[in-house]
Amino acid sequence: MDKLHYDAVVLGGGLAGLMAAHEIATAGFKVAVVSKVFPTRSHSSSAEGGIAAYVPGNSDPNDDPDYMTYDTVKGGDYLVDQDAAELLSVKSGEIVDLMERWGTLFNRQPDGRVALRYFGGQTYPRTRFVGDKTGMALLHTLFERVSGLDVDFYNEWFAVDLVTDERRVTGVLALDMKNMDPAFFKARAVVAATGGMGMLYAHTTNAYINTGDGYGMALRAGAAIKDPEFVQFHPTALYPSDILISEAARGEGGILRNNKGERFMAKYAPKKLDLAPRDIASRSIMIEIREGRGFPGGYVGLDLTHLGESYIKERLALAYEAAMNFAGVDATKEPIPVRPAQHYYMGGIDVDTNGINTDLQGLFAAGEAACVSVHGANRLGSNSLLETLVFGRETGKTVVEYLRKHEEVSSPSLDKEAERLLSEAYSFVKSESGVHFGEVLNKLRGVMWDKVGIFRDEDMLKSALTEIEKLRGQVREMYVTDKGKTYNTEFYNALELRNMLDLAVVIAKSALMRTESRGAHFRTDFPERDDKNWLKHTLAYLKGNQVEIGFKPVRMTKWKPEARVY
Amino acid sequence: MEAQTLATNLEQREITVRVKRFNEDKGEFWSEYKLSVDRFTQITEVLRRIKTEQDPTLAYRASCHMAVCGSCSMKINGEPRLACKTLALDVVKKFNTDVITLEPMDYFKPLKDLIVDMGDFYTRMFKVKPRLYPAEEVVKGVAEQRLKPEDQRELWKFAQCIWCGLCVSACPAVKEDERFLGPAAHAKGYRFLADPRDTLYEERLKILLDSSWRCTYCYQCFHVCPRDVEPVTTIKKTRAHTKFSKEKTDVMSTGERHVKAIYESIKETGILQEAKVYISTYGLATAITDMLHTMRNGKMKYALIREKKVNEIEQIRKLLGD
Repeated sequence: MDKLHYDAVVLGGGLAGLMAAHEIATAGFKVAVVSKVFPTRSHSSSAEGGIAAYVPGNSDPNDDPDYMTYDTVKGGDYLVDQDAAELLSVKSGEIVDLMERWGTLFNRQPDGRVALRYFGGQTYPRTRFVGDKTGMALLHTLFERVSGLDVDFYNEWFAVDLVTDERRVTGVLALDMKNMDPAFFKARAVVAATGGMGMLYAHTTNAYINTGDGYGMALRAGAAIKDPEFVQFHPTALYPSDILISEAARGEGGILRNNKGERFMAKYAPKKLDLAPRDIASRSIMIEIREGRGFPGGYVGLDLTHLGESYIKERLALAYEAAMNFAGVDATKEPIPVRPAQHYYMGGIDVDTNGINTDLQGLFAAGEAACVSVHGANRLGSNSLLETLVFGRETGKTVVEYLRKHEEVSSPSLDKEAERLLSEAYSFVKSESGVHFGEVLNKLRGVMWDKVGIFRDEDMLKSALTEIEKLRGQVREMYVTDKGKTYNTEFYNALELRNMLDLAVVIAKSALMRTESRGAHFRTDFPERDDKNWLKHTLAYLKGNQVEIGFKPVRMTKWKPEARVY
Repeated sequence: MEAQTLATNLEQREITVRVKRFNEDKGEFWSEYKLSVDRFTQITEVLRRIKTEQDPTLAYRASCHMAVCGSCSMKINGEPRLACKTLALDVVKKFNTDVITLEPMDYFKPLKDLIVDMGDFYTRMFKVKPRLYPAEEVVKGVAEQRLKPEDQRELWKFAQCIWCGLCVSACPAVKEDERFLGPAAHAKGYRFLADPRDTLYEERLKILLDSSWRCTYCYQCFHVCPRDVEPVTTIKKTRAHTKFSKEKTDVMSTGERHVKAIYESIKETGILQEAKVYISTYGLATAITDMLHTMRNGKMKYALIREKKVNEIEQIRKLLGD
């Protein structure tokens, strides 16, 4: 097997990974970015609405970073580490300035300064945006910037596993998807910036590539996933492509209707109606569908027709275009077909505000792959782009300090460990019989959606655990029919499935443990928030087939938990 | 009422998907799949279902399924398109057939089924130094950049390239002329050339100008771009910078002569006198050689068509700004 030597390896070429790589490279260290897609194909590109930032001199005169922190803490149902949220607010202006300097074409005010707008859960408007393609604009800017530095990109390389030696990360095993050649990337530091895991769910707004690879790798290497039970569902994803229809559609007066044409939100949220928070709206839609008042295929209508054509096209351009291009529906004439879909993962590899994981020396994480925790039990809109850049940079800086202090450890057993991990991965291609990944994958996505989804209770979660464990058993018998070496995507899908199953069992188990409802985690058998017993983070480890659960206190600074009323 | 339409009009139907495939062992071959789709089914979803339910060996690229990542470029019933931005039944209706044909993009080398080698595309993009080079003071953070809202709008149109490669796959000039950078790289290059915050103007002219005169204005890139970036428009706008360039290559000078000849022909007669424009652009010697070639191919008659005179020539001259 080829051996490649780097000071640091960054897994993932989205915003968090590129920002970390930027910091490491500009400090003069040798860094590789390993990504299973060309960087601009990363899921960061799908972010629409904007990036929240308090910019001194270019914000609402009444706003300040404390309001921003408060909004984030309350939005996260008080499971947010408040020092992390403070850091996010304080650094937000700097990050937007930086991206502007690097060329991001933010929308402008008439005087040429960066423009801002309101977003859900904000006391004052602070979202900066590039049309409705903010993520794409930021990702291209950052990739273009980093591609001009001394950074080695390994695009379309699939990271298989972290290579460890006595609780220390010593590198990464990865395969070149072009020819299946393996390489052991030896490095003192590894940054997991592998993004989210939406493909675990039958319905998700996420890209096909979001298969939770970093979570799986971290779990197998012995690192904890923090708050795994917190999965955000967005109420209005376009049927059936699950493309996000922004909350703005309801903000502007859109009405959710069932197959009888009824405005069903009147039943679930008599006062707020269609503007009820994401979790309530998602739950209401699901009840309608389950009780037979959805449309065949399982969706409801988001009716904008009463708003009039010119208003829709002016104020809700993206919703209009998405419905037209991806569902063939003219939103000025008929309701947009929508259903809730998985949208974001608040859980992630356990790290502190410096991006350091304490289970494995040399392991760092940033972005959606990490849990800092800045989103707590529910993320606010425009905070995810901000998190990738702020904590991508903090993590990169931490890695630089770490590299200055730590020498490379070499031992002959490392190569053996890499070989062992490789032959484990190869076993799928070598098998001649068993199950296809597709069969197991589609079952898993169904189980997660039906039983570890928007509504949860003890029976559902226990049954989910049984099924997931069964699927985990089947996966050991998985085989890859394609024996070719060039872009054998079946093989990589199989490896992704292994990652997904390692995370799925952890999510289900943690959801079963947490006997309360908080943010996105809703237990019908425990519908109230329980601060007395559950104002704490879950820490989940995977030991063989066993999930081990521990806890860790939430870091509080100024804000005491109060009822979450909007 | 509207709700009823949604309930009853799923238009479920069975389609046949033919995929042109390739691998090292078998070379080129075709596979056929049958599956049921409805009016909402994207081609990326068709592919995902084939791969997870029927044939796990089928290889393709796909990521965002919302036309922002540029992964799923391919030919669908012969048209260069993003699979995610194409609904199966739209193809069925447009071509009046239940058979959808998927092939890898043209121009790029197929590596496995619908996956092609994008290396050539990326090389083109990096040739134009695709990043902003702001002023020193701005990088240090001691000066702030401002940008007029109208400049932002203009630049953002051209900055929305998602590196999908469709325009390059459809471009005839790229195939013929290795010194032509191709449409996507020109859109990217112009986006920075025209950015008032950038400091690399001279160098960008050197990279872009010669190449910009190698485009044939066929408008394929305009038609196939899934983000309406209009690469050909950026090429036109880039050519307009030729007058600021100190050095001029042959194609640039020829190009400028051509533009001047067209202008004069229209100013003088109100019409495009092709033969005259040709002579003014390429000179008599080349024109004669080319004419012999034209005669040999029996196309001389087209050069001899008599154009009608334009009556209101003064109006035209006015439009030209004289």
